[in-house]
Amino acid sequence: MNRSRLMKSAQEPLRAILGDRLALVGLAVLLSIISMALFAPVLSTHAPLAVNEREEGSLFTRSVDGNQVRWRASPPLGEATLNAADYRDGLGMAVGRDGVVWRYAGGDWSRLDTPLTATLNAVNIREDGATLVAGAEGTVALWTPDDAWQTFDMPEPLGVNGIAWRDAGTALLVGGGETIWRLDLESGEVESLQSPVGRGFDLNGVALDVDGSAWLVGDRGLALRLEPDDDTPSLERLPGNRELNHIHIADSGAGLIVGERGTLLVRDAAEGSWQSQDAPDSRAMRSGWITDDGHAFAVGRSGIVFEREPGGDWQLMPSDEERHLRTLMVTDDNYFALGSDRFVNRLAPPSGEHWFGTDHLGRDLYSQNVHGSQIALLVGFLGAALVVLIGANVGLVAGYFRGRTETVLMRTVDVMYGIPFEPFALILVLLFEPSLFIVILAVSLLTWRTVARLIRSQVLSLRERPFVKAARVAGASDLRIMYLHIFPNVMPLVFLELAIIVGVSIIAEATLSFLGLGPPQSISWGGILHNARLSGAWREAWWWNLPPGLLIMITVLSVFFISRSLELVANPRLRARR
Amino acid sequence: MSSRRSYLIRRVLHGFMALFIIATLLFFLFRLGLPDPTAALITEGLNPEERERIRASFGLDRPIWEQYFIYLANIVQGDFGYSFHYRAPVADIIWERLGNTMILMLPAIVLAYAVGAPLGAWLSWRRGSRADTSGIFVGLMFRSAPMFWTGMIAILVFGIALGWLPTSGMRTLPYEASGFFDKIFTLDFLHHLILPALVVALYYLGSPLLIMRNTMLEVYGEDFIEMARAKGLPERRILYAHAARNALLPVVTQLAVTVGLAAGGQVVVEVVFSWPGLGREILNSVRTSDFPLAQASFLVMAAFVITLNLLVDILYTMLDPRVSFK
Amino acid sequence: MKNIAATRFKRTLLASAMGLAAASLSAQTLAQERVASIDLMTTTESYDPIRYEAAFIIAERWEELGFDVNVQPTEFSTALERFYDQQDFDVTILGWTGRTDRLDPQFFLSTLDSRQANPGGNNPGGYDNPEFDALFDQQSQAFDPDERQQLVMEMQELYKPDAPLVVLFHRDEVVAYNHEAFDGFEPMAGEGLYSEWGPMEAQPVGDRRTLRIGGPQEPDNLNPLASTSVWGWKWMRLYYDRLVRLSADVEPLPWAAEEVEQVDDTTVAVTLREGMTFHDGESVTADDVAFTFNYYLDQDYSYFNSYLDTLESAEVIDGSTVHFHLSEPSASFASITLSQIPILPEHIWSEIDDASTLSPDEVPTVGSGPFQFERFDRGEFMAISKFDDHFHADEIAVDGVEFIIYADMEGVYTGLQTGEIDLTAWRMEPGQISLAESEDHLTVVNVPDFGYYHMTYNLRRAPLDDRAVRRALTMASDRERMVDVLLDGRGEVGSSVIAPVNTFWHEAFIERFDFDMDAARAELEEAGYAWDEDGRLVR
Repeated sequence: MNRSRLMKSAQEPLRAILGDRLALVGLAVLLSIISMALFAPVLSTHAPLAVNEREEGSLFTRSVDGNQVRWRASPPLGEATLNAADYRDGLGMAVGRDGVVWRYAGGDWSRLDTPLTATLNAVNIREDGATLVAGAEGTVALWTPDDAWQTFDMPEPLGVNGIAWRDAGTALLVGGGETIWRLDLESGEVESLQSPVGRGFDLNGVALDVDGSAWLVGDRGLALRLEPDDDTPSLERLPGNRELNHIHIADSGAGLIVGERGTLLVRDAAEGSWQSQDAPDSRAMRSGWITDDGHAFAVGRSGIVFEREPGGDWQLMPSDEERHLRTLMVTDDNYFALGSDRFVNRLAPPSGEHWFGTDHLGRDLYSQNVHGSQIALLVGFLGAALVVLIGANVGLVAGYFRGRTETVLMRTVDVMYGIPFEPFALILVLLFEPSLFIVILAVSLLTWRTVARLIRSQVLSLRERPFVKAARVAGASDLRIMYLHIFPNVMPLVFLELAIIVGVSIIAEATLSFLGLGPPQSISWGGILHNARLSGAWREAWWWNLPPGLLIMITVLSVFFISRSLELVANPRLRARR
Repeated sequence: MSSRRSYLIRRVLHGFMALFIIATLLFFLFRLGLPDPTAALITEGLNPEERERIRASFGLDRPIWEQYFIYLANIVQGDFGYSFHYRAPVADIIWERLGNTMILMLPAIVLAYAVGAPLGAWLSWRRGSRADTSGIFVGLMFRSAPMFWTGMIAILVFGIALGWLPTSGMRTLPYEASGFFDKIFTLDFLHHLILPALVVALYYLGSPLLIMRNTMLEVYGEDFIEMARAKGLPERRILYAHAARNALLPVVTQLAVTVGLAAGGQVVVEVVFSWPGLGREILNSVRTSDFPLAQASFLVMAAFVITLNLLVDILYTMLDPRVSFK
Repeated sequence: MKNIAATRFKRTLLASAMGLAAASLSAQTLAQERVASIDLMTTTESYDPIRYEAAFIIAERWEELGFDVNVQPTEFSTALERFYDQQDFDVTILGWTGRTDRLDPQFFLSTLDSRQANPGGNNPGGYDNPEFDALFDQQSQAFDPDERQQLVMEMQELYKPDAPLVVLFHRDEVVAYNHEAFDGFEPMAGEGLYSEWGPMEAQPVGDRRTLRIGGPQEPDNLNPLASTSVWGWKWMRLYYDRLVRLSADVEPLPWAAEEVEQVDDTTVAVTLREGMTFHDGESVTADDVAFTFNYYLDQDYSYFNSYLDTLESAEVIDGSTVHFHLSEPSASFASITLSQIPILPEHIWSEIDDASTLSPDEVPTVGSGPFQFERFDRGEFMAISKFDDHFHADEIAVDGVEFIIYADMEGVYTGLQTGEIDLTAWRMEPGQISLAESEDHLTVVNVPDFGYYHMTYNLRRAPLDDRAVRRALTMASDRERMVDVLLDGRGEVGSSVIAPVNTFWHEAFIERFDFDMDAARAELEEAGYAWDEDGRLVR
């Protein structure tokens, strides 16, 4: 009989929910959030914490509008990074990852078929249009305007980073491990030149000087010069010790070397010395170009383009997108900047690829929001269950036994009321390591106070009711009376509190995560908002702010709607007036 | 009457006991759980002997029991000690921060109740109508949205996009003022108050609204309402003059509880709006292991809550004759 | 970044099952044991998202290498305590800020000195190399800069192959100022725009002649004998003068001193500039200078102890000359100590017996610096005004400086955007940088830092006591990626405890440990490690 009463008291709330339109809507919303949590791995389009990176054959073109210069992004040339480019007399060549070669002629880009598969890092065009390309694993190949390819075998499969025609029949190749090769194209023979440093530093660039010597630059500010007549290498001292990535020398003898950390070394004339110049940004510069009169350009990471008027200071130029620019190609009437190796797709607005956009580390926000439901519901329901479990029992025991038991328990509740929530949670997190368990504990350890008080006051009146007295006379044990006779009567109230506290717990969890007290590497709605605020980007990236807050709101709202219909069960007087 | 007095005395004693337990709990929790307050000085290049000297100047070199009794004795004398971080008396810092918190929370809560309670009464009168449903919906909606999020959105819209209202702090700096009241009775301060207070008020709005509405519905069933109806009094008069007055008690109770908890502030609102209140200070003091400041802030908040709860009980004993003084 | 937590969870389940099986099989079949798992302690995400994410980038690669790694984000002060005091860690990611006086190599080199390896010392990793210690003593007493440079570079070459720690990266300080209000700033390494020169260099462009700085940090207090924070001294140094100031290129410039002279190995003579006065009108004399240094020795102010530990006494020779007597030759006394200790007025401080217990209202604020103290409202506002009787006053274009204290960088950025403040005292968040770049009235400045984030191995614990393991772990730390992804390229992969921007002392040609998983595997293999069928490292 008692069991059936228990069942009945559980059925009643369900009927109440089904009978109330708002509660039904709430239930439907809650169920869909629950299924979102359950099927999060299926529903999300990306790994929620994976940094999304992209690569493309970026092509930027310099445009001048009045005296406003801007480097505009043109449609990219395929998917592969373009690492190097060269231009001579109407023919342009750009090379990149996986043996990709693009030809630029008459204002049009076209992709060439190549027998090459290794990543290409260097390209140099001879007067007649014959083009040498070189790259990883000792790849060196010659392309002739009749569209024929000839490959050369290198002594070792080392990466080649720079290439230059020494004269019509020989070429200089430089690369990893201080490699300097001189290739005789006729015979295919390769001669290794010994670097005077010999510490295995990478060489990144090579350029011919007007006096017939050659300059080689590389790792840790290394610069070598090859004598005009016999290519004897000697060490040159340049200012700074940052990695040098590229060297360009104009026909007038003006020269530009660029490197890591905004390194810019300029030589204004053939006789001049290399001078370090201040860069407007401190990031890595990958390629530079200087004209005969000293007009200079440099490109680098994150869409950085510097320009310098002859004799002036370097200026940072605006560019369309943050691509990693690798090389410059200056034609008769155009300036191109090409790239881009893997760049993080940061703060992208919503798109077909990322429905809710991406965050500051290029992580997919839609997937994060979907996964966020898991922690919210877990903490919401587990926390509420724990709260109601503690609260209901404390209330039941205190209300039933009264006397000293009641005093001790209710004084404990008083103490609980005196402790503020967030600082207390912070101490818990400091005392233990932040984890899901601690968050649930923090959420529930203080909230049970309200439940205990409410249940106690109901039990106080119930214990004086005739059916309890009758049970006592019949010799029922205290436990039996408490849990089989009194408890079913407070069930509606318990359900009501449960529903309310689920909502409270979800907000509490969001609050803790927003304050950065959530478990590490977990994804929660509050945590997404925490990141948004921490990064400083939230004021622009609305797609980062709106969804998690809305999700918290509708979840909690749906729970509150449900709780309202439960209230009618708990408090029948309300129903009578409806 | 005497039973009422002894009840009150007992309640006050209970309050003090709760405070004592909280003080003790905090003391040991902090000493045993939080890192050494001088740990952060290492990054400034201090060596162990130098740090030991600083610990001694904080009194941290003494046995923990001795520290505990000194601490209790000082509290009894109303001395909260010196903040490790600020090198200033804790009391000065706390009163200022508490003032800042209350000057934000009180107007917000009062606004929420001043709007929420009459609105709730009105909704109960129009029960079942579309207005009723949407009223409940809006009230619950703001109750469901986390305050820090509402705050961020409010800043984005009114602060940044429209540029109408300042988004952080209590006033435009620099300013010239001497006392606390000079600081707050300025247009500039009100200008800064609007956004955070509105966010807090919207959050709290739901609770007086729903309590009032529900209590009113109960009150409608009472006999004296039926009597008034029978007398042919106009519905509006019944609503506000008779029913509402009787439905106010639970709302007032809830108000007192809310005000009690307000001292703890809404940490997130203080964080989002850079409001220099007690909630943020307490987080900082725990993070930097500033024991005297942290302990005192907790105690002040606890005392506030306990006092307000006591007031609620007293209010009940005076207003509701049905409560017995057991 | 895949979800490491989940994979690790599965792995621990697997490992415990395997462990049971292994136990029953007993030792005769399994000669090789799994390498102990590694706890990687880092800061919490809210304290520093960069170091937090960095730990996960590292852990992912170490897992790939066959180690079991457990990332532990820890509250900052707890982390400090566990690292320095308890030395209870396997690997810890923390950092050293680049304070100007640390441009002298003394401090950063001392973090590898075995005599600092006791609990609470600056070498919690416990690196112990007698040769290094001997060189350390030699360099700290070498007066000749070129000789000292050789020693300092030798020390860097010496410790690097042992890989006792990884200098993860030097993060650029990215700050901004409103060039429509003020201009003329020269950023300073480690200091940004809020250097001691900033207010002296600032040129008003707009109407307002009072420079407004904004920042999220405030001084703990303005007591020159009790403040223990950089933020206290960054402000106080504007109104307390120093004998020497360090230029933007960190050259020691005689300031209140007319001349600084080395009399003998242990005596430094300082001749004061003539005609200086304190803000209250009293003149600055040799007595004040000698008093200040002796007072600091006397008052035992911990924050300055490292500067003063070689000083025995200061002696007044005549009205404008002071002799400093040192206990041993010190290379850094004339540049670092003299540039850090303020000059206090004797007539005020001689009456204070225990300066550290002064309450905030009682702390004297009279100095002799280019600015004079106006007010400090805790948590809100600080102000100083130009001191017209200062010898440098004619060079200063501003009327005064105000510092507005915000709750966080959000507030600071809003202040900068709306023109409430003219420059930021602290680095901007990554998301704010691009916003600032798009504002017409703001100039964004990148300042390289010589402070660094480090990852220190506990050399007392297995498997980190093995040099090969440390070398392999170092090679498997993808620092290039941290700089690219986490710092958006605004920083530099670290190579030595002496940063590359510190060009004079930095040794560029030491082993770099570039990211190379194959090299890391080879290193382990050579040292006798192998991998079991799950890819876990065994020995």
